[in-house]
Amino acid sequence: MKFVKHYLSYIVIGALAVIISAVGAAGGIPGTFSALLEQSVIAIILAVSLNMVVGFLGELSLGHAGFMCIGAYVGGKLAVLLSSSLGGTNIVTVILALIVGGLCAGICGFIVGLPALRLRGDYLAIVTLAFGEIVKNIFENSEFFGGQTGLKTPEFTTQRSTRFVLFLIGAVIVLLTLFVIQNIIRSKHGRAITAIRDNEIAARATGINVTKYKLMGFIVSAVFAGLAGVLYSYSQQSLQAKTFDYNYSIEILVIVVLGGMTVNGSIVSAVLITALNNILQTNLGGSFAVAKDLIYAVVLILLVIYRNAPALKSFREKYNLANLWKRLVKPKHDPSRVGDDSVRWDVVPTKISMDEVLSTDVVIDTTGDNSADIGERGGNK
Amino acid sequence: MKFLETLINGFSIGGIYAMIALGYTMVYGIAKMLNFAHGDIIMVGAYVIILFLPINPVVAIIAAVVLCALLGISIEKIAYKPLRGASPLAVLITAIGVSYLLQSLAQIIAGPNPKLNNLFEKLFPKFLETHRGGIITIGSFNIKLSTIITLACVAVVMVGLTLFVKRTKTGRAMVAVSEDKGAAQLMGVNVNSIIMITFAIGSALAALASTLMMLDGQKFAVDMGSLPGIKAFTAAVIGGIGSIPGAMLGGIVLGLVECFAQMAGFGEYTVAIEFSILIIVLLVKPTGILGKKRREKV
Amino acid sequence: MKIRVLSLILTIALALSMVAMFSSCGKTNYAENNTKIKIGLSGPLTGGAAMYGIAVENSAKLAVEEINAKGGLNGILFELAMLDDKHEANNIATNYASLYEGGMQVSLGTVTTKPGLEFKGYANADKVFFLTPSATGDDIPEFSNGYQMCFADSDQGTASAGVFNAEYQGKKVGVFFKADDDYSVGIKNNFVAALDKSFGEVKLASFTEATASSFTQQVSDLKDCDIIFMPIYYDPAALFMKQGNGIVKADAIYYGCDGLDGIDAVDGFDINSITQGVSYLSHFNSNTTEGAAKEYIDAYRAKFGEDAPLNQFGAAAYDCVYAIYDAMKFAIEKNNAEIPANIAPDALCDILTAVFDSKDFEFRGITGAPEEDGRSTITWTDANGNATNGHVNKTPVSYTVKSVTSAQ
Repeated sequence: MKFVKHYLSYIVIGALAVIISAVGAAGGIPGTFSALLEQSVIAIILAVSLNMVVGFLGELSLGHAGFMCIGAYVGGKLAVLLSSSLGGTNIVTVILALIVGGLCAGICGFIVGLPALRLRGDYLAIVTLAFGEIVKNIFENSEFFGGQTGLKTPEFTTQRSTRFVLFLIGAVIVLLTLFVIQNIIRSKHGRAITAIRDNEIAARATGINVTKYKLMGFIVSAVFAGLAGVLYSYSQQSLQAKTFDYNYSIEILVIVVLGGMTVNGSIVSAVLITALNNILQTNLGGSFAVAKDLIYAVVLILLVIYRNAPALKSFREKYNLANLWKRLVKPKHDPSRVGDDSVRWDVVPTKISMDEVLSTDVVIDTTGDNSADIGERGGNK
Repeated sequence: MKFLETLINGFSIGGIYAMIALGYTMVYGIAKMLNFAHGDIIMVGAYVIILFLPINPVVAIIAAVVLCALLGISIEKIAYKPLRGASPLAVLITAIGVSYLLQSLAQIIAGPNPKLNNLFEKLFPKFLETHRGGIITIGSFNIKLSTIITLACVAVVMVGLTLFVKRTKTGRAMVAVSEDKGAAQLMGVNVNSIIMITFAIGSALAALASTLMMLDGQKFAVDMGSLPGIKAFTAAVIGGIGSIPGAMLGGIVLGLVECFAQMAGFGEYTVAIEFSILIIVLLVKPTGILGKKRREKV
Repeated sequence: MKIRVLSLILTIALALSMVAMFSSCGKTNYAENNTKIKIGLSGPLTGGAAMYGIAVENSAKLAVEEINAKGGLNGILFELAMLDDKHEANNIATNYASLYEGGMQVSLGTVTTKPGLEFKGYANADKVFFLTPSATGDDIPEFSNGYQMCFADSDQGTASAGVFNAEYQGKKVGVFFKADDDYSVGIKNNFVAALDKSFGEVKLASFTEATASSFTQQVSDLKDCDIIFMPIYYDPAALFMKQGNGIVKADAIYYGCDGLDGIDAVDGFDINSITQGVSYLSHFNSNTTEGAAKEYIDAYRAKFGEDAPLNQFGAAAYDCVYAIYDAMKFAIEKNNAEIPANIAPDALCDILTAVFDSKDFEFRGITGAPEEDGRSTITWTDANGNATNGHVNKTPVSYTVKSVTSAQ
C-alpha cells in the first residue's frame, strides 16, 4: 500500500506514457491530442520544478520562463550545430542537448540563487522577473541565436510518425523530475529546505546550512526548467524569445498555486489548466475568441477564491472530493496505526499561510490512515 | 545640449512611471499585495477619459478618477477581500485573473483598435495656437508643457500623500494597518475600511497616471497597462517598496535610464539595462534606495 | 483501496487511448464528411495585435459570404474557420491540428509572421495549400505549398530604398523601427543595405514593446532628419508623428511601408495637425475613393460598422479568398480538375499549386496598383513566366497621404 501511495504518480504517468507511445507508434493519435500531450508534459515539468522554489523553498519566483528560455536556446542551438554531423533528432543529440541545456539553466539558477540569499519575498520576486526579462532581451537580440527571426531548431512535431517520440522523451523527463524532486523532498535535505521556508532564522540556529539549501533549491528548479526548455525547442520549428516573457512565468505560477503547491497537485493542475486552455482555444475561434480570455479569467478568480478563501474553509472540507471518497470507502479510523509522515510531508502548510495555521487547530485529517499530521502526531506522543 | 534634452525626456517619461509607482506602492505598503491589476485600472481610466472627453476634458478627468476609485473598491471587495488571511500567493493569482478580466472586457466593450487621444488639445486650445505641438521653446531648447504638468502633478501628489499619511488620522491608521493588522484592529482601527480607502486612493492615482499618459499623447489600447504596471513595480522596488518618495525616485531613475540607453544607441537593450540596474540596486541595498530595513524576529 | 483508484484511473486512460486510436486509425482525409469547402486560418483575435487578426477575419468572412451568395464554386459553398493565436507561435501546434482535424481543406495560413513560421511546417507535412494575406516574412513560402498575398519584407525594404535613391537624393535619412519585431527589423536591414552610399550615415532610432508607450527620446534623436523611414505599423507611427509635432523638422517627410496604411484613420490623431508629409509604399490604401478597393471598403463598412478595424491586412485577406476561389475555377475550367466539397487537402493542394505556379493564371485583385478596370494584376510568376516560389508579383503603389504643409 505504502509503495503504491509513494509511487502513484510515477505509475500513472509511466503507464500512460507506455500506452500512448504504443498508440502513437501505430500512428493512431490525432494531432490535437498530441499537441495537448506535449504541452501538458512541458507544463508538468515546469510546474513541478517551480514548485520546488515556490512550494518547498517558499520563495516567489516570477522568472521561471527565463530558465526555460536558456535551456531552449542553448539546447536548440547545440542540436542545430550537431544536426550536420549526428542529425538533429538523433537520440544522442537529444540527450546531449538536454544535458547541456539543463546544465546552462542550472548555472543561471545558481546565479539567481545568489541574490536570494540576501533578498526576501517580493524583492526576490522582482529580481527573478528581472532575470527572466534580461535573458529574453539578450536572446532576442543575439544574431548567433537567430535574432529577431528566431532560431530554427530540429523538431519532432511536424511528422506524425515521430511525434510520439517527443512525448515519450517528455514522459521520461517527467519521471526523472519527479524522482529527483520527490527524493530531495523526502530526504533530510528536503526537511532542511522546508525548515528554511517555515522559519529561516530558526533553521539557521539549528545548524542548517541555509546558503547551501537555498542554492540547491534554485539550481534543481532551474535545471528542470532548462530540460523543459530543450523539450519545448524540439516541439517548435523556430524559437521566439518573446514566448518566454513574464506572462509565461506567471502562467506557470498560476498552475503551481492552483495545484496547492504540492507535487501531485502541480501535476494535476498542469494537465487541467493546459486542457482548459486548449479546449477554450480550439472551440472559441472567430468572433468568440475574446470570450475565452473572459472565461479563463472568471474561472481563475472563482477557483482561487473557492480553494483559498478562509470563509469557505468548512464548506471545502465537507465537500472535498478526497474526503467524500474517504467517507465512502474508509469509515474506520484506527488510532493505533502510526503513519509515515513523509507521505503527507508535502502538504505541511507553508510559511505563507502560517498566520492561519497558528490561529486554528492543526488537526486537519484524523479520519484516514494519514494520521501523520502535525497535531495528531503531537497528541500521540 | 543633447544631454540636457535627454535628461528632460527622462524626467518626462519617469514622471509618469513615478505616478503609477505611487499608486502601486500605496497599495503594496498597506495591503501587502502585488496588485497586478493596477496597470489595467490605468487602462480603464484612459477609456473613461475618452468616453467623457466630448463633454468636457475636466469632467472626463474627474469622472476617470471617481470611477477608477469605485472600480478599485469593488475589485477589492469581490476578488481580494474573500482571500484576506489566505496565502498572499492566492491573492496574487486573483490579481492576475482580474487583470485578464479587465483586458478582455475592455476588448469586448471598446474594440481592439488602439487609439490616440486629444485630451491635451481639448485642455489647452489657446496654448496650442501659439505653441505648435504644445512645446515651449527657450533658445534652441524644447520642453513640452505636458512634461512640466507631469512633474508638477507627481510632486504635488507625493507631498500630499506624505502629509496625508503622516498628519491625518486615516493616514496614521493606514500606517498602523501596514505595520500590524491584528494590533491595529485591537486599537480600534477599522481594518476593512482602511484597506478599502487604500484601494480607492491607489486606483484614483492610477486614473491620474492615465491622465498624464494621455497628456503626453500616448496611445491607449486594451493591453496598455500591463507593461507600465510591471515598470511601476520595478520603480517602486528600486525606490524601496512602500516608501512614497522612493516610488517617485524609482520612477524617475527608470525614465532616465530608458532615455539615456536610447540616446546611447542601445534602444533594443533597454529592458535588460533597466532590470540590470534594478538587480544592482537591490544587491547593494536589499530594500531599495529609500526602503526601511526591518529587523526579523524568530 | 488505492489499488482500486489506481486501476480505475488506468482503465479510464486505457479506454480513452483506445477510443482515440480507433476513432482516428486509418483516417487520412478529415474532410471526407465536409459539405462545404473549409478555409482555415489562425491569427491574433485578442491581445495587442487583435486589430490585424480581426480585420482579416472580417474581410475573409465578407469574401466567403459574397462568393456563397453568388452560388459558390458551381454550387459548392465555402466556410471559414479562424482560431486565435494571440500572435504567439506556441499556439500554432494546437490551432493547426484543430483546424486540420476539423476538416480544413485549404488555408490562409497565419496573419502574422512568427506564428507563420510554425504553421508552414505543419502545413507542409500534411500538404495543405496556404495563401497568407499578411505574414510578410521572407521564409513563409519556404515550402512548395505556401504562398503570400503580401510583399515579403526584403522586397519592401529594397523597393523603399529604390524610391529613396530615385527621389530623395542628398537628404538626411533617419530610420525609426521596432527592434523586437521581425517585420520591422527585416525591412530596415534590407532598406539600409540597398540605400545609396551617397546618403551618408543613416540615423537609427528604435523602440521595443517595452518602450512603446512614449517616443519622446526617439523624436529627439531623429529631429534633424529630412526624411524618416518608418517600417512599422500605423499605431506607433501615429504616436511618433504626434509627439514629434513641433520638434521634428517642419518640412520633413515620413515614409513607410504597407504597415503605415491606416495612419490617417487612427482615432484621436488628426493627420492634418502635423506639418510633415506622410507617404508610404504599399499594396493597399484604405482611404481610396476609386476602383474595386472602394467597393470592398464600402461593403466592409456596411457589414461591420465604422469602428471595425480596416487595414491592408483585411484587404489582402479579401483578395486571398477570391484568389483561391478563382484558382479553383481556373483548375476546373482549364485543367479539368474535379473539386468536390469533401476533397482531401493534399489533393486540393496539388490542384492549387499547379494553378498558382502557372503563368496563365492571373488574379484580378483589390491590392496592388489598380489598372483601367479598377483592379490590379496579381500573379505568382515573374515576368518570364517562371514560378516565384510563392512570392507575390504585383505592382506596389507609392501613396502620398499628405504632403508637407507650409509652417503656420
